[in-house]
Amino acid sequence: MPDWQQIVSGKLSGIALEPDEKSQVLEELAGHLEEDYQSLLSQGISDERAIQRALKRVDDWQVLKQTIESARKKENPMPKRVTQFWLPAFLTLLLSMVFLAVIQRFGPNPWVTPASGGRLRMTPVAVVYVSWLLLLPLIGALGAYMSRRAGGSARAVFLSIVFPILPYLAFFLIGLPVALILDDHVAHNITIPAFFVGLSAWVIFPAAALLAGGWPVHFFALRRLISSRSAGS
Amino acid sequence: MIGTGVKKGTAELAILSVLENGPLHGYEMARRIEEQTKGALCFSLAALYPMLYRMEQRRWIRGSWETSSNGRRRRCYRLTPAGRKKLSPLRDEWSELFAALRRLAKVSNA
Repeated sequence: MPDWQQIVSGKLSGIALEPDEKSQVLEELAGHLEEDYQSLLSQGISDERAIQRALKRVDDWQVLKQTIESARKKENPMPKRVTQFWLPAFLTLLLSMVFLAVIQRFGPNPWVTPASGGRLRMTPVAVVYVSWLLLLPLIGALGAYMSRRAGGSARAVFLSIVFPILPYLAFFLIGLPVALILDDHVAHNITIPAFFVGLSAWVIFPAAALLAGGWPVHFFALRRLISSRSAGS
Repeated sequence: MIGTGVKKGTAELAILSVLENGPLHGYEMARRIEEQTKGALCFSLAALYPMLYRMEQRRWIRGSWETSSNGRRRRCYRLTPAGRKKLSPLRDEWSELFAALRRLAKVSNA
């Protein structure tokens, strides 16, 4: 028996759909051709002719490819990239900034290292908003849920989760080195350990907190999707 | 056999009508339409699926994967409340059109 999935995949190679959507379309069309082929066989038509006749149901595969692409995309009120990435990403960014501002204004106070009375006055200073870090998993989970629900890929989900720390990362990787080069007032206070402590406080810990909440949601949603498919829901 | 242009216009009505009686997968849908119209409306794979996807985007129908008793996975489509709502005015529009054509061209059995 011919591998209809492979045949359709070859005929529609390069179809511009999301991977998940593409595999569903290919499986559906292959299933249709297979049923057609089986029906022709049951009518006593030879295998070779049944294949040919089933394939003739599509006059022009290029046209089919284009019409499927436009049918899948044309009437989408919001581009997929917006629902899968930009919307959850900006929501996580907004929420994390709002919560940080509220905590900075109303407390609780951050953990400061070293404490002002500490002995190691020359060591780097980091301000860690522990209560903010504790809220970040919830925000990460929300971003992951929104992105995954819109059919986002693992990359889109990951970026939606960690989006709130990207401005800080940009600051540490671009802003701070530029400031070090251009501004003496910044340069004289910066030490390499301070850089890493600051990076941990504003990038690594928040990213870990966001991912701690978001990544399990992603895997849970993915597992549900796989099990619902295998169960044929 | 009805020409492509007319067929395109009737496709929505045909699909919504066959789904009114219960969920169907694409192949079965095409077969039923062909059977019930005595071969006058015959949807090729290339005409059927883009139409189904478009109607799904409009939320008139909803597709979900189902596994048959022989273990074959098929995407079954069912009518949504929005699709059911759409069916009635669509039927009215088409019967108005047929009536107008009958009056105009004296087409019998339109």
